[in-house]
Amino acid sequence: MSNVSRVNEEPTADMDRAMVDCAREPIHIPGGIQPHGFLFCVTDEGIVIQVSANVASLVHTPLDDVLGEPLSGVLGEAASLAITALASLDTEGVPLYVGSIDDPRRAAKPGVHLSPLAIVVHRYQGIAFVELEPARGTADVFSSMYPLVRTFINRLQEVQSVADLAALAAQEVQRITGYGRTLVYDFDDEGNGHVIAEALDEGYPSYMDQRFPGSDIPPQARALYVRNRIRLIADADYAPAPLVPALNPVTQAPTDLTYASLRSVSPVHVQYMKNMGTGSSMSMSIVVRGKLWGLISCHHASARVPPFEVRTACEHIAQVLSLQVEAKEDYAEAEHRLELRRRQSRLLATMANTDHFIDALTNDPRELLALTNSTGAAIVFDGRIVSIGNAPDEATIEQLVAWLDTQSDDIWSTDDLAHAWGRAANPEYAGMLALSISKLFRNYVIWFRAEVVRTLKWAGDPRAKLSSLSASLSPRESFETWTETVRGRSSPWRQAELEIAVEFRTALLGIVLGRAEELAQLALELGRANQELEGFSYTVSHDLRAPLRHIVGFADLLREMDSAKLSDRGRHFVERIIGAARFGGKLVDDLLAFSQMGRAALRPQSIDLRALVQTLAADEQRNTGDRAIEWHIGDLPEVTADPVLLHVVLRNLIENAVKFSRLRDHPQAPAIIEISSKAGEGEFAGQRVVFVRDNGVGFDMRYVDKLFGVFQRLHRAEEFEGTGIGLASVRRIVERHGGKTWAEGKLNEGATIYFTLPLTFSPDMPVRDESATAAVARLAALSPGQPFRPVPKELNPESNADPAPDGANDARRE
Amino acid sequence: MLRPILLVEDNINDIELTLIALEKTRLANPVVSIRDGAEALDYLRREGQYADRKDENPAVILLDKKLPKIDGHEVLKHVRADDKLKRIPVVMLTSSREEKDLLRSYDLGVNAYVVKPVEFDDFMAAINDLGMFWAVLNEPPPYR
Repeated sequence: MSNVSRVNEEPTADMDRAMVDCAREPIHIPGGIQPHGFLFCVTDEGIVIQVSANVASLVHTPLDDVLGEPLSGVLGEAASLAITALASLDTEGVPLYVGSIDDPRRAAKPGVHLSPLAIVVHRYQGIAFVELEPARGTADVFSSMYPLVRTFINRLQEVQSVADLAALAAQEVQRITGYGRTLVYDFDDEGNGHVIAEALDEGYPSYMDQRFPGSDIPPQARALYVRNRIRLIADADYAPAPLVPALNPVTQAPTDLTYASLRSVSPVHVQYMKNMGTGSSMSMSIVVRGKLWGLISCHHASARVPPFEVRTACEHIAQVLSLQVEAKEDYAEAEHRLELRRRQSRLLATMANTDHFIDALTNDPRELLALTNSTGAAIVFDGRIVSIGNAPDEATIEQLVAWLDTQSDDIWSTDDLAHAWGRAANPEYAGMLALSISKLFRNYVIWFRAEVVRTLKWAGDPRAKLSSLSASLSPRESFETWTETVRGRSSPWRQAELEIAVEFRTALLGIVLGRAEELAQLALELGRANQELEGFSYTVSHDLRAPLRHIVGFADLLREMDSAKLSDRGRHFVERIIGAARFGGKLVDDLLAFSQMGRAALRPQSIDLRALVQTLAADEQRNTGDRAIEWHIGDLPEVTADPVLLHVVLRNLIENAVKFSRLRDHPQAPAIIEISSKAGEGEFAGQRVVFVRDNGVGFDMRYVDKLFGVFQRLHRAEEFEGTGIGLASVRRIVERHGGKTWAEGKLNEGATIYFTLPLTFSPDMPVRDESATAAVARLAALSPGQPFRPVPKELNPESNADPAPDGANDARRE
Repeated sequence: MLRPILLVEDNINDIELTLIALEKTRLANPVVSIRDGAEALDYLRREGQYADRKDENPAVILLDKKLPKIDGHEVLKHVRADDKLKRIPVVMLTSSREEKDLLRSYDLGVNAYVVKPVEFDDFMAAINDLGMFWAVLNEPPPYR
């Protein structure tokens, strides 16, 4: 699986370096805090070892006197709360609000308003952190927080979509914080932020629907957003209060402020804020399934310190929003999956009820496309390509499949096929999801998605950050809307769609394997049926022939020995008995021969067609006695075929030509029989077209379809003898060679029978030399009622053409 | 005394027709007709009811393929495997045109394979030829 990302321009080396520099900035150890609160680092024994420099102003004591003192000595009452809380705190990083106290300076400055201070403690890496920050009052912060979030909680029930949720959150956070602008944005897979909700005061520019490039928030900042869910930057113009001493006196290392809410801000970020025209900001993380899903981000033109209660309320809203988003997304995803699964069930049910599952897939193309929300699909199966909807042409699919063959994954998806494949983009199929059902047999189901042209509004050119690089680290300066049009990409494939594709593949495999089993079973049954048929033929051959033979035999004897004792009618009946039994015997013989033509394996070899035809023509001429026949033997090159079967074909055709032209034996209008061939064209390219033409009785083209049927005759038996098996045999043999047969004729003007032979074809079995005896045996089996005729010598130049019984050993060589 | 012609055939019609045909060839050889393969082997080996038969092999065996008990091919196999019998000319005289029957017969060492023609005249001619060839023209192998 792969999602291909695309950047409009290739990243430059500068860009790489800048991103790396930014990502390396150690923002968790800035060495100071924001000065709107105070920080104490305390040992387990309650001894202060490090403080923020502004503590001096809080306690009116030189810092040197504070360090090394017990915290209780420095903060008095407030300290005891914190120390007690810390003693019970055993989780790392989790901040704990322990209560609020009056500002210790208040007594000294009666006229000045000083907020109470909230005390928050946490423990991290063996150090206890005590932070004081401005609060609204000294009462329990949670009881004062509830009224702030109540509206939000109550209204949650009213909204359905994630977008509405976000809008509600933005509105409520804006209301309770009083910031000038509140944005909610989510992050895409590449980390780009997209503003999905916004609440604005007058005078603040809108960022609605804009995108912030992923590079605006470096990875380590994202990690901090997940761990510390709220981030307040009270005053972009602040001077940080450094930690004193700068290094932890125990470890001699910078103190890790990851979980300190007062943690000082990276100078890059401060510059970013200033560039954006923001004096203060507060961000709450939206964390869904452990990942930073988005941010609620508040901006104000001037410095702003929201009281601790407000901050906590906002954090709470963000948490509720996180849970709601997760629930809504889960629900939407579950719905989506359910719908996909329903579609899959329908498809599979149809497939189970169809003989060939491809037909099921293509019968209702909407179902297949809906399964993955695609606009086109192609099924590549057993060498067939079936396209549905907007799919590439067959040649392109072939190339695509060839490329997919080189990929190792069974499922392959991209929303940017052109880029992944390295081909020119086509808006019809910008995205692709391919399932390999079997690499071995090149069976694929491929879905395509059309291009979705997206117009992205960036909050400033995402590349601007780089162009203005002067120092190694500096944020971008422009937040002017910069519009980018993304082309050549489809909508991305959703996880649920990829998963259903995996399931679908499994189901298909099941069906394909099931089908293969069925086929194997069928083949087995077919083999059994064939065997039975063979047994049947054998029985017919042996048992049905015998009684016919006996009838003829005894009737013959009757005629011969007792003819004198019979009446004229009696003699006539005997003739009829003999004739009918003979014909029955011939039918049986012909049928048997015909069935053998279909069963016997082909043994192709190179044949001198001309020599074969000349031999057969000479034979026929001999059998017809003094009939005047003009033989026109034309272009007859070597062909590849089974010599025995080709012999049968040509003998049948030549016999027919002779037979059906016998009314023309007048010397002035002789029978003309032409046997020739030509190279096949068009449909028959790569084949030799052989034909036998006569000028005999011909036939009516209306009955041309009957010509090649078994026992089909177009003439009365008294006119022309025969059972009607000849052309059926011709067709069967030619088809077994991969050729075709057809006929042209005109009543009383003649007929032409054509057959084709492929120039190359793969034999059923390895080609071996057939011994003369075996060939003769085959020919005899296929030639009922034929006088003995050896296979012409030239067919078997290497073997002994003498069919003497001794040749039996030759057969064993096979 | 001329050596007999052994006809192994179970069908009475075929026996009668063959006997008539042989009669018409005016061969002097006696004809022994036997109805099944097991009996034929008994005859040839001079066993069972044929134990007292004269010690002499037939001039030719006309063997049907399809026989009760032991079929023609089996009989042929036994004949060719038996030192005393293996040189007797054997002609398969059968209704079957099946290629595999033909090949099997030759594989087993048959001397000739004749498909009984439907036409009685042809059948007569075939029997005549066979009788003339094997009983008269052919010099039989010396016995023992």
